[in-house]
Amino acid sequence: MNAMTIPTAHPHRKSRTRSQDTQGIPAALRSEWIKISTVRTYAVLLGLTVLSGLVTSWATGTFVKDEVLLAKEVFLYSTVLTSIFASITGILLFTSEAQHGTLAGVLTSQPARWVIVVAKSCVAAAAGLGFGVLGMAAGFGGSLLAGLDVGDTSALPRIIAWSLVFTTASGVLGVGLGMIARNSATAISGLLVWSLVVENLLREFLDASVARFLPFNAGNGLLSIPATNDTAARKAVQLSSIENAFVFGGFTAVAVAIGTFLLYRRDTN
Amino acid sequence: MISVSGITKYYGTRVAVDDMTFDVASGRVTGFVGPNGAGKSTTMRMMVGLARPDAGEVRYDGVNYTDLLHPARVVGSVLDARCMHPGRKARNHLRALAALSAVPVARVDEVLTDVGLETAANQRAGGFSLGMRQRLALAGALLGDPEVLLLDEPSNGLDPDGIRWLRTYLTAFAARGGTVFVSSHLIAELAMFADDLVVVGGGKLIAAESVEAIIGRNESIVVVDTPQPDQLRHLLAERHIRSEQVHGQLQVHGASLSEVSRLAFEHRILVVEITEATKSLEETLLEMTSSSAEFASA
Repeated sequence: MNAMTIPTAHPHRKSRTRSQDTQGIPAALRSEWIKISTVRTYAVLLGLTVLSGLVTSWATGTFVKDEVLLAKEVFLYSTVLTSIFASITGILLFTSEAQHGTLAGVLTSQPARWVIVVAKSCVAAAAGLGFGVLGMAAGFGGSLLAGLDVGDTSALPRIIAWSLVFTTASGVLGVGLGMIARNSATAISGLLVWSLVVENLLREFLDASVARFLPFNAGNGLLSIPATNDTAARKAVQLSSIENAFVFGGFTAVAVAIGTFLLYRRDTN
Repeated sequence: MISVSGITKYYGTRVAVDDMTFDVASGRVTGFVGPNGAGKSTTMRMMVGLARPDAGEVRYDGVNYTDLLHPARVVGSVLDARCMHPGRKARNHLRALAALSAVPVARVDEVLTDVGLETAANQRAGGFSLGMRQRLALAGALLGDPEVLLLDEPSNGLDPDGIRWLRTYLTAFAARGGTVFVSSHLIAELAMFADDLVVVGGGKLIAAESVEAIIGRNESIVVVDTPQPDQLRHLLAERHIRSEQVHGQLQVHGASLSEVSRLAFEHRILVVEITEATKSLEETLLEMTSSSAEFASA
């Protein structure tokens, strides 16, 4: 039984081209949508997003009495948490596949791995967008429930748009982190420790002109939430919204690029 | 036909698969056997592009797996029966796979029926027994109605009925012209339905032959219980036939039962019992792979 090669014209055994890979993206998107909509974890994360939006803004409006608060500001407060939930969703889109062994089925069905990365990134982006919209809607509802005035809404569309850029990109960042770590606990704890602890420490110790380029510093900068501990020096070097979007988007792109490289390099069990 | 040509895989400095070359023919069931750590699973993962060979290649009628236009319609594989999200229902698990392979969703219920899981279609996979998981994994492999089935230890966790069903299914699949490549540590089970065997040990190919050819490697032994062993041994030696006395019986190598019994009869040697012993396929394979077994029993 020596090795030999038999050329064939069988329709399924023809070699694929790059354009045929591209044509596989809608199928991969459909598959990812079925996956995200048929596991309760993601519904729980969406529920937590809505709940945190509602409770954060209602509690802030109800219990903070030493300053005048308006619904047009308070509704955004929970978006920091929303972006984390979006990132966790992105992480789980990949790590749950790696940990439960379904990644093998995915990669044998679609060997062009970049197609899978595109599909997961798109679904994570859609999830981040959806989480952002519902989280902010819940935040607005909570503010109104607390009896806050809406305030001047002229700048609201711009604020909402940049906030949605943050939550959308957070979902995609999660996919990149998931592909790098491959393990849910590692990726999620890494995300939380970096965003909530390490970056806050670095912000204290680094020069403001450097700290402004930290990923979540830039991401949070998109939310237009005035930080109470911002010094004049920090305010002076703050990046504009578009610059913050480029910094956060850059980190997201790098994470996805590294994750994609590793997805091609690593063997799959 | 699957052509595996010189595939080699290193993990660090350890060679897991060493220059393995064999073919898997269409219309036949090919068993893939070897002890633990022989490189079976690594080889199978390389065959479907999940692991990158350091050298060599695998081709399906001339095309690399990762280049196949519709891989799921050419090869259905089950490399790990646990490959499902425990929180997802069986039907949804298959719907996601079908969507990715652009297989019509109607096929999901067909394969669930094929593997006998139609009543469990709306149950979450986390509550499945290992046998049910094996069936669901096989359903996933069958979604694209493939020409080739690559299965790693598919009978693990199956009850006797399930094993018989699997054997019948795979035999029928091959009879329709399909290619079946199945690994198993249950050699006796494989012997019941495999046509060919690929035997590996220590990451190296030991044999790639038909089951008949491997059984044919055996030298049969004629065991004679006689009160005159020395006389019979002398007669055998005159005819250059090797024999030895083991536990009070004479074991004769290289002669048939009829030859030995005729010789004894012609020289009036009393024979109490005479039998021909042939090693089972399992014994033969264990002997073939014994030197390469990584985790041998004491």
